[in-house]
Amino acid sequence: MEGLGLFGAGIGAGISVLGAGLGIGRLAASALEAAGRQPEAAGDLRTTMIIAAALIEGVAFFALVICLLMAIA
Amino acid sequence: MSATENKEKSENELHSEVETTNYGTEETTSKEESPVTQILNDLGDHEEFSFGPLHADILPVILYDEGQFHFYGSRSSMEKSGDYLMEHHHIVRASDHNAPDMNLSVTNMVAFQWMAMLLLVILFFTVSKKAKKSGTSAPKGIHNFFESIIVFLRDDVVQPNIAGNAGVRLLPYFLALFMFILVLNLIGLLPGGHTATGTIGVTAALAITAFLVINYTAIKESGIKAWLHHLLGGAPVWLAPLMIPIEIASMFIKPFSLTIRLFANMVAGHTVLFSLMGLLFLFQSFFIAPAIVGFATFINLLELLVAFLQAYIFTMLTAIFVGLAVGEHSHEH
Repeated sequence: MEGLGLFGAGIGAGISVLGAGLGIGRLAASALEAAGRQPEAAGDLRTTMIIAAALIEGVAFFALVICLLMAIA
Repeated sequence: MSATENKEKSENELHSEVETTNYGTEETTSKEESPVTQILNDLGDHEEFSFGPLHADILPVILYDEGQFHFYGSRSSMEKSGDYLMEHHHIVRASDHNAPDMNLSVTNMVAFQWMAMLLLVILFFTVSKKAKKSGTSAPKGIHNFFESIIVFLRDDVVQPNIAGNAGVRLLPYFLALFMFILVLNLIGLLPGGHTATGTIGVTAALAITAFLVINYTAIKESGIKAWLHHLLGGAPVWLAPLMIPIEIASMFIKPFSLTIRLFANMVAGHTVLFSLMGLLFLFQSFFIAPAIVGFATFINLLELLVAFLQAYIFTMLTAIFVGLAVGEHSHEH
């Protein structure tokens, strides 16, 4: 039974990181595209991008903390 | 087996494990020394001051137990008194091996926070003295360095988010928040240093100050009436049963997410570093070692970026939340 718990924690960590990676990847792609179209707005775009990335990352960390708790409990 | 049964079972196992550790059976010692628990234990808080190879039993132990306070000058003097003893890095009563009601000790992380505070106080008094002396001439040296940070925080973090007087008044808070988190993160990156922002208690305390600042500023700037009105979230009154719980929940979720973000970022980076270093001992090979060391150096440099980024993000998000809480009313009036 303990093995299954570890298995679940590993799979969960993988899926949550997959989601966060896709999200941040899309975000960076769109930000770069926008900066390419309008280079004078690059500074603002970078700030907004970092904040949005932090929010996505925060959600992913919620999932990772749950996985970690599953793995060590 | 149902989920609740399973949980009960694991809890029972946990209890039996705790009980058996008192007698030091072989199985539990092997569990205690599993790499994951060991890494997490190293990242966590301790009752003694340690900085790299330096371990000093100098931190006072303060316990509140059974209605009265117990003060001890250090951990060893606590153990000498015979009332309490250390078991698996935790303080327990000598009589029944349970944890005391409340542990208010000065721990390693508290000591590291005090170091950061002392450093900041010294630095900022030096800088303010230089700023007073230089008058209107261009800043130089350390004064220049800190002035660029202060101006960055004022022009790019606080003023764009918090309009008017409140922004000016809150600038010292945001500056203190940013510098404190940054210094704690950077001390954690020193060889042998400990990251106080990697313990959830520290980040939670920082987020609680953020929560107080957000709501205090909102009430002070726009009055208690507008603050209560903002619980509706701009929706019509008949949606109140739905909106009020959501808005109250979001009020508490904001500091909670601040807590988890900083804590998890710092712990995750250090866990990766520890794990890579663990591989070194696992393989014990000259061919794999350079790759591991190179990768660990890369992660360490990444952590340097993360130390700045997380201090910035914590400050920025707090400023945005304050701005949201204050700004919503000024649109309505």
